[in-house]
Amino acid sequence: MKKILSVLGAATMLASSMAMAADYPSKNIQFIVPWSAGGGADTAVRAMQPGLEKALGTTIVVRNIGGGGGAVGFSRAVASKPDGYTVTIPTNATFTLEGLGNVAFTRDDFEFIARVLVEPYVMAVRPNDDWSDLESLVNERKASGEPLRMGASGVGSSTHIVSLMLARELGIKMEVIPFDSGSAAVSAAMGGHIDGVVLNPSEVISAIDGNRLKAIVTTGEERSGVLPDAPTMHEAGYDFELAQWRGIAAPKGLDPAIEEQWVEAVKQMVEDPQFQKTARSIGTDVSPLYGEELDQFVERTSKPLIEEAGAIRQ
Amino acid sequence: MGDYVEALGLVFQWHVLLVIGGGTLLGLIMGALPGLTAAMAIALLLPLTFGMPPVMGMGMLLGTLCGAIAGGSVSATLLNIPGTPSSVATTLDAFPMARRGEAGRALGICIVASFVGGVFSAVVLSLLAPPIADFALRFGPAEYFALSVFGLVIIASVSSKSLIKGLVAGLIGLLIATVGTDPVAGVQRYTFNNLSLLTGVNLLPALIGLFAVSQVLKDVVDYFGGGPVEHSKNKMDHARPRWLETLRYWKVLLSSSVIGTIVGAIPGAGGSIGSFLSYDQAKKMSKTPEKFGTGHPEGIVASESSNNALVGGALIPMLTLGIPGEAATAVLMGGLMIQGISPGPTLFTDNGSIIYGIFIAFFVANIFMLLIQWFGIRMFVKVLQVPRKLLMALILMFCVIGVYAVDADIFNVYLMLGFGGLGYFLNRYDFGTAPVILGLILGPIAESNIRRALMLSGGDWSVLVTRPISLVFLLVAAAFLFFTLWQNRRQTTPHS
Repeated sequence: MKKILSVLGAATMLASSMAMAADYPSKNIQFIVPWSAGGGADTAVRAMQPGLEKALGTTIVVRNIGGGGGAVGFSRAVASKPDGYTVTIPTNATFTLEGLGNVAFTRDDFEFIARVLVEPYVMAVRPNDDWSDLESLVNERKASGEPLRMGASGVGSSTHIVSLMLARELGIKMEVIPFDSGSAAVSAAMGGHIDGVVLNPSEVISAIDGNRLKAIVTTGEERSGVLPDAPTMHEAGYDFELAQWRGIAAPKGLDPAIEEQWVEAVKQMVEDPQFQKTARSIGTDVSPLYGEELDQFVERTSKPLIEEAGAIRQ
Repeated sequence: MGDYVEALGLVFQWHVLLVIGGGTLLGLIMGALPGLTAAMAIALLLPLTFGMPPVMGMGMLLGTLCGAIAGGSVSATLLNIPGTPSSVATTLDAFPMARRGEAGRALGICIVASFVGGVFSAVVLSLLAPPIADFALRFGPAEYFALSVFGLVIIASVSSKSLIKGLVAGLIGLLIATVGTDPVAGVQRYTFNNLSLLTGVNLLPALIGLFAVSQVLKDVVDYFGGGPVEHSKNKMDHARPRWLETLRYWKVLLSSSVIGTIVGAIPGAGGSIGSFLSYDQAKKMSKTPEKFGTGHPEGIVASESSNNALVGGALIPMLTLGIPGEAATAVLMGGLMIQGISPGPTLFTDNGSIIYGIFIAFFVANIFMLLIQWFGIRMFVKVLQVPRKLLMALILMFCVIGVYAVDADIFNVYLMLGFGGLGYFLNRYDFGTAPVILGLILGPIAESNIRRALMLSGGDWSVLVTRPISLVFLLVAAAFLFFTLWQNRRQTTPHS
């Protein structure tokens, strides 16, 4: 009897969730971008928007909820109903915010649906007589004992935190100078006011194409599609890998059937050559990840970032 | 040369022109509504450009940007509500003139000055972009600090009645600018665990509160206090572009356009101070500095030509270096990159026809801006015929919607109302609100850059005077300060 009941119960639950999922989506979906218009995450969402709308058959309304360096928008997203009509764009900032301790949410408050785009962090320096690649730079700095002065995109940003991690990994002294934005840091490096920057490729690609900065190492699993000449940390002989990523997440408690619909939609979107072209244009690599593998990726990426961000806080 | 001919062909197609004109019109409307910024207008139109050829898409977005800046001046003139931070200086003279019943004249001057400033910067952009961009790169932290000190000296000049009161207002701005996460050490200051304050007080709610809401409060008090409520007595025959009157001030037009273009080209210099710098400079050069602030055409010319020249200036580092100076150009750059065009030095060699097409589209957008305003000016002035009590209610509504729309954060609306109260009292007791805005814009630039400069120099303060650009700015700032004090003294002595 008990068994029958539980089967029945499971069946009704399944049926109701299927019913919910069957007519999903029946209204507009709001996509929360936790930054103002114009940033990397905003551009990424606007690039995904047409493909997702086509695949899901509904309108996606992009809402820029800025403030607090992403804190306000993410807080609002996790406080929404997990009905699939509110999603947001998780990035490494989701983890650094947690580590800095300014927000009430943790990574466990999100249901990560997909990773869509990745871009490594890149260390780019001004062309210099003393160094031409990572090895010569590290040797020169180790010999002189002078700190390398590197710009990052903001205090507590993931570029700031990754800079500190890189300094430790390379065994050199580094003074990390937080600027108001990535482009402000690039401009200071181009003008010779600092030695270089640690940023994402999309922010430095113009400077590198114009031969004003040189990419000497990237932190991704593979070489970046837009910076094919820069070796990864692995290739340079260091055991370090950490990439910026952008994907889709909902508040915890999303119906698995709806999540499945989203995964299908993302799979359809990433196949679209137009989307692939757009992604390349904005300096990112399409590298989708779902389910179990995604959870492992989140675990692997969030841990060091949260720890390092916590250390800044001290 | 061949590239230019090809570029002309890319722009002068009827559907491209139509799209540029449409973008300009939309920009004008959004810019005139308080709270809707140029950056938001462009972001809204961005997805439409994905399917367009690059020149057409960029043309539409550039039209939107030009329109939004010009539209900001319409509400600044008629209602004392700067639609964008860069039209704050316009309110200083255009609104008093409009209050005198010469709204049409004030707008007529705005239109011509905007057009001249916009076209000037377009010429500079197409001829001198690379060298100017290289100059802008010489600005490091020390230079930014010196520039912002130079900007803060303007507080003395925009304080209308009393220098001390102006300074107090400026300091209030600087004080409020300390709220938020410390830009270098990451420590929270005065945030009271409020997430919305983590990145500091948002400029837009402050701006709208200080100017628009405070004006609404003043009118409400006047209305219920039984004081004289001004009725519109605008002479419609004034409402046309004032070519001769504006061009008579050709020196001011020229110097303000130059200042606007250069300040615009220095990324992150707080572009909106360009119009303040020009206003200040025009006042110092003028034979009748005492007329500034009372509805003097020279003041309008200075601010308007400068804030439209800013647009062309801001495109210089974006197109030549791939460095956007502020939010609106950052969205524009996103648009370009999605088209598969990466801004930077290679743009000129690889995509010559596209970059020249963008220059030409920018010219065309300025011409549309002139034409639309030319035909629209009579309609704009009619806004003032709406009974003031209805108008004020409408304005308040638009303010709330606009400010909420910035970040979809209700806290910004409270912030705006708070600044409205502050603005009301500051105006009532002659402290003025423009110095508060200057303090708010320049405070963070000055603070973060002096700290970066000292980090780089290892704590050695001499970097401020050993670097030539920094030294020049600090010396000029000191000279201006003494000049303003002297001018003030000369003006006040005969009366006392």
